[in-house]
Amino acid sequence: MAPTYRIAMVCDFFFPQPGGIESHIYQLSTKLIDRGHKVIIITHAYEGRTGVRYLTNGLKVYHVPFLVIYRSATFPTVFSFFPVFRNIVLRERIDIVHGHASLSSLCHEAILHARTMGLRTVFTDHSLFGFADAASILTNKLLKFALSDVDHVICVSHTCKENTVLRASLDPLMVSVIPNAVVADNFRPLGYPTTTTTPPSSISSPIPGLPPNPSSSLTSSLTPPRRILGPHDPITIVVISRLFYNKGTDLLTAAIPRILAAHPNTRFIIAGSGPKSIDLEQMIEQNVLQDRVEMLGPIRHSEVRDVMVRGHIYLHPSLTEAFGTVIVEAASCGLYVVCTQVGGIPEVLPGHMTVFAKPEEDDLVAATGKAIAALRRNEVRTELFHEQVKNMYSWTNVAERTERVYNGISGAISEAEFYGYDHLKDHRNGSNGSWTAVTATRGMRSGVQSFALIDRLKRYYGCGVWAGKLFCVCVIIDYLIFLFLELVFPRESIDICPDWPRKKKVVDTRREGGGLEWGDVEEYRRRSRPSRLR
Amino acid sequence: MAPPSGLHQTALSSDFETPFPPLVRSSTAPVAFKSHRADPSHLAPEDAYSPVSPPRRTSLYNLRPRLIRRKEGSRSRSRRRQRRFQKLLWVKQSYPDNYTDQATFLEKLQRNPRVKPYDFWPLVADSTVIVQQVCSVIIFVVCFVGIFQERVSPVSVVGFGSFATFIGWLLWDWWVAEESLGAQRAMDGTTHSHRGRDPRPVRRQDSLGGPTRNASIVSLPGAGAGAGTGAATPTPASALPSTAPSPRLDQHLHIPRFSIGPTDSRSASIEPSTAAASPAGSRAQSVADFHEAHYGHHRQRSSISSPIRGGGVLPGNSRLQLRLSTIKSAVLIYFTLLGLSPILKSLTRSTSSDSIWAISFWLLAINIFFFDYSINNNPFTQATITNPHSNQTGAQHKFPIASLSTNAALMASTVLASRLPSTGQVFSLTLFSIEVFGLFPVFRRYARHRSFRYHVILTVLLLLGAGAGVGIIIGAPWVCECWQTWLKHSLLGMIVSCLIAAVAMGGCSWWLIGLQKYKNEIYGPWDPARPIIISRRYYDDE
Repeated sequence: MAPTYRIAMVCDFFFPQPGGIESHIYQLSTKLIDRGHKVIIITHAYEGRTGVRYLTNGLKVYHVPFLVIYRSATFPTVFSFFPVFRNIVLRERIDIVHGHASLSSLCHEAILHARTMGLRTVFTDHSLFGFADAASILTNKLLKFALSDVDHVICVSHTCKENTVLRASLDPLMVSVIPNAVVADNFRPLGYPTTTTTPPSSISSPIPGLPPNPSSSLTSSLTPPRRILGPHDPITIVVISRLFYNKGTDLLTAAIPRILAAHPNTRFIIAGSGPKSIDLEQMIEQNVLQDRVEMLGPIRHSEVRDVMVRGHIYLHPSLTEAFGTVIVEAASCGLYVVCTQVGGIPEVLPGHMTVFAKPEEDDLVAATGKAIAALRRNEVRTELFHEQVKNMYSWTNVAERTERVYNGISGAISEAEFYGYDHLKDHRNGSNGSWTAVTATRGMRSGVQSFALIDRLKRYYGCGVWAGKLFCVCVIIDYLIFLFLELVFPRESIDICPDWPRKKKVVDTRREGGGLEWGDVEEYRRRSRPSRLR
Repeated sequence: MAPPSGLHQTALSSDFETPFPPLVRSSTAPVAFKSHRADPSHLAPEDAYSPVSPPRRTSLYNLRPRLIRRKEGSRSRSRRRQRRFQKLLWVKQSYPDNYTDQATFLEKLQRNPRVKPYDFWPLVADSTVIVQQVCSVIIFVVCFVGIFQERVSPVSVVGFGSFATFIGWLLWDWWVAEESLGAQRAMDGTTHSHRGRDPRPVRRQDSLGGPTRNASIVSLPGAGAGAGTGAATPTPASALPSTAPSPRLDQHLHIPRFSIGPTDSRSASIEPSTAAASPAGSRAQSVADFHEAHYGHHRQRSSISSPIRGGGVLPGNSRLQLRLSTIKSAVLIYFTLLGLSPILKSLTRSTSSDSIWAISFWLLAINIFFFDYSINNNPFTQATITNPHSNQTGAQHKFPIASLSTNAALMASTVLASRLPSTGQVFSLTLFSIEVFGLFPVFRRYARHRSFRYHVILTVLLLLGAGAGVGIIIGAPWVCECWQTWLKHSLLGMIVSCLIAAVAMGGCSWWLIGLQKYKNEIYGPWDPARPIIISRRYYDDE
């Protein structure tokens, strides 16, 4: 029987505010509850949302009153969160504190206090940061402070992992890459059979240990009919993004007139709002493209699918992106994806679903032209995309992989299994001088970090000449506050909250998420080949 | 990152090669960094000059016994071979999530890719601009001290200053006329030249015919306003609705317009400060006009809203008009200051002197620190390279800094002048400050633009003057009749100032070059990409 944990997700960003991090936390928590864990969420109070709330599945949300300064990020007070946090943690008997988003000061504070209280901590990084400008330098220093004493870090893509390792000077082995996921059932293409609640077992191989049957997911009778595109049928290109500079709206504005001029039977649908929308509108008016570019304005996340299925191509001109959930959603809706090759985007989708472009106007126009030509030749089997995306990403799989991280940091799986066999031997022999020095600061078992104050101080001290000493002072003060709180509000006087009845862990045999096998890709290529000959 | 190449047959065949080594702790240990440099957080000195990515950590794992890690029940075992690790999220990896692949981890990391190493002598040459400004401020302070201690008669100071200004103006006017002539000739020669040509083709032509990234510059003939007025303004066609159809006529028509009615950042910067000194609005306007006429030569953007007075007049005629209006403005300033001097004299009577010294020190420091030292000494280059849009944004960034500097200096002079006892002294100092802080930088900039030799001569003169002044003020006794003492002290001051300047310029340049080894810029795929947009109409830097 695998151990179950009581987990507190801490982040500034949560519902009712919409966004990617918010839905990530919600979906992950739900799936973890399904796997038998207890999950609570701690966020700050939103307007109209205060106190304690219950969401579906018994997910408890604490809205802590806090001063919000900028874009719903709270004011970074290093210690003020501690009393409330300690109360919640003791009340809910939390084992693991899982913080999200590097811009959330609530999360950083929670990680610091949790380590002081002797809890395991995990941090998930959702975004990429540069190193050049002054704001990044400050953010990175703060991140280093928060992550000096974290047990494990989760990143959403390999690029994000590299970035986080560099920013916070982490050991790469304590950083896991667990991608985001999509709820594929919410992003079905048009005309897709709606038997979603229990997909027939013919789609998935029944036991995950077995070698996959390549034909199982692709040749099932449920695949929708092919969409054959005639030579004069209109092709619709969909763009859904907030219209900001870093989303590449300038590229889009420059590329649209050229794409439309080069390809007569094409039109654009643009959804989203932002400061750059005025540029787009100006471009439309200057080039008189009102009948070929449709601007929908801001749309809700639930309407994204309805917009996407109106198109054939999804264009994503972003300039930086840690994961790019939206292109997965687009592929799940059966759209051919044209995207810029930045950040973590190249890792997200296989080559047969995407056309990559450099973040240049010319290249973007050329890539879109290539995509349009491929669609016109009916080379791309977009109707198969949904099933494949379903096999690539699922929240159940994300929760499963996150659970392995929890097991690793709490010692449920051995350090050797979690970090690799070679390390232990290395450590015992002491053959590598520099490395034993590193492990000394992490305690005897690097998977299970020592809670002793002196060990923690050693980790913080290495943060920098001045910063290291400052951080050490902060940690000592935090510890003193902890002792003070133990005196003034003793543990015995804090009520224990009764748990919501735990779920039995469902053994899900469906082969969803976790990635595509190479065989599936080969199968796809084999099946799309005859159309090319035609 | 390349699109997944595993789809290709070649990549598939490579999968049958030796499997990649398993998860090995030592493989990710920061050993390799320590092996060849002492401190991994700093770059070694050679990195500053050979900007390459750090060496890849290879072949470390060969030293360790291999231990193939097997995951029970994983599909990889049934396939009996481990796929090569790839940085892909959509594929089913047979590696744990925290696996760190040695070959691909941080492979896109670049260190210091865009670092241009400095050279010593160009750096020293560039630092002369700062020396000039510092010396100007020192000379001003010396003059004030001289007037304040009544060693120098204020009339001689302002007389000398005005005379120098007049000479400078004549010189400037002559240069402008010369270039205008050259530009006309070049324009007559080539109708569709992008830029006004210059009779002296050395070094300038490169920059003139330099990379015009902007399509709108090339397509717009009106932008080729000449070097004659110094107004090379790439104007977007939309901003000039009155552009005449004939390109040549257009050029002729627009030259005076650019020369007389530009809204320059500098002229705008002068305007509020002078207006602060003289509440009379119309006079401030005339002062501004005067400055426009003087400042009109560098980095202008045409503005339709600015008063167009010389439009439609041929260059020769407009030159005369320009001179007349300049003289008119000078006279107006003169009398404005004369009228204002009694007011300024008693402005800060209730404030104690040491506050005034402190305030003026800080204001002059602000002037030095925020002065516009931009090295780009060719106004045409600036106009050519920057496209209209970024020109505007650049001006938005630059505008407050340049005006802050000039305003601070004029404020300092006003405050200092209010310490002086007589109206004549106040008037002299204020006028002198306008000449030093308002007009002289323009002349210096233009001299630097004309020839580097003028620039050096000017620097040396300023340096010697400042040194001599400081030497006399500090060294010589209160009122000394014997001119030998003065000469001795001024010579001593010159030598000391030259020594200090040499040490400071050389030392700072050397120090800056030495500091380059700490440069550690990290670039990678996580940085926001810089979009390359050809039709840059909509591109905004932010």
